[in-house]
Amino acid sequence: MPFQGLFKWLLGFFRGRKTFSLGIYGNVNTGKSTLANRISMDWTGEAMSKVSEIPHETREVIKKERVSIRVDGKELTINLLDMPGIATKVDYHEFVDYGMSKDDAQQRAKEATKGVIEAIKWLEHVDIALVVMDACLDPYTQVNITILGNLEARNIPVIIVANKIDKKSAKPERIRAAFPQHHVVEVSALKGDNVNKLYEEIVKRAR
Amino acid sequence: MAIQFEFISSDAITGKSSEERISLIMKSVRKDKILVLEEPLTPAEEKLLIMKTMTAITREFPGIEVCSLGQTGSDLRSRVIKLLGGKTSGLTVVGPSNLVHQIKRDPHKLRFMAGK
Ligand SMILES: Nc1nc2c(ncn2[C@@H]2O[C@H](COP(=O)(O)OP(=O)(O)O)[C@@H](O)[C@H]2O)c(=O)[nH]1
Ligand SMILES: [Mg+2]
Repeated sequence: MPFQGLFKWLLGFFRGRKTFSLGIYGNVNTGKSTLANRISMDWTGEAMSKVSEIPHETREVIKKERVSIRVDGKELTINLLDMPGIATKVDYHEFVDYGMSKDDAQQRAKEATKGVIEAIKWLEHVDIALVVMDACLDPYTQVNITILGNLEARNIPVIIVANKIDKKSAKPERIRAAFPQHHVVEVSALKGDNVNKLYEEIVKRAR
Repeated sequence: MAIQFEFISSDAITGKSSEERISLIMKSVRKDKILVLEEPLTPAEEKLLIMKTMTAITREFPGIEVCSLGQTGSDLRSRVIKLLGGKTSGLTVVGPSNLVHQIKRDPHKLRFMAGK
């Protein structure tokens, strides 16, 4: 079909001008910001987000614009969006347990609730989403199901990232079993293991 | 302390908009009730529920636990079934997180821990 080629070319032409928004989603503490930093470092030489073992460290959407990823001669420019972790509850006592003062903990909780709302609002505006899961934990959470369900409903391409595979207790196969309809890439955002595979998948899927 | 459960039949919510469903849920949850909805919330409704919860959080109300089973969402089959007035199977359990500590699930089973 002669038109197919033309159509593809036109599509590529328009897409070429557009940068993709890549949203990094998931439960709190799954390693979204660590992964955002890894991607940003690999392609721009700069980190972008703060990482912490205390939940809700990221309380607003952190953006890194025009990050160019190159795989096998193909280049893709993305706007990286490190999202606050999505949760159904935010209990300030949890932050107090990490040694924070009561005032600071309550302030953090307040900011965290705003961050969750911001992340959810962005769900319909990203062009591709990484849904990051901690491979050591039960993947079958309502937050994961809700995030995936909303992305699916809008036909937004999804890659599930099974993170923290450097840990002994990691069981990425549980993630594959829970979400067989999705593509799963196993990585360690901390160590950088297998992130090249993730870049391949991003470039493949962002069309 | 006694724990109150409320079962809500799908007839009671089918005529309602998503907004109405969510405010109905929030009202009960704020009164320390655990709700079981005969019709599961859609992913879009759950998104709305989480946003409403976030704006409702205070020192005394830390949020919710929610779990849905058999969510078919917006696929064609469930849309057609609903259009014909039928029920898609599944349910949603939702309660305040200071009462419902954890909900464990697998594709066919749901187990939750509650208590003060
Ligand atoms: N072992 C291990 N720890 C990780 C990995 N990625 C993140 N972490 C740790 O998990 C915690 C939460 O990380 P963070 O990136 O802030 O998570 P976020 O809340 O999803 O943004 C931090 O203590 C990180 O050092 C990983 O690949 N391996
Ligand atoms: Mg973060």
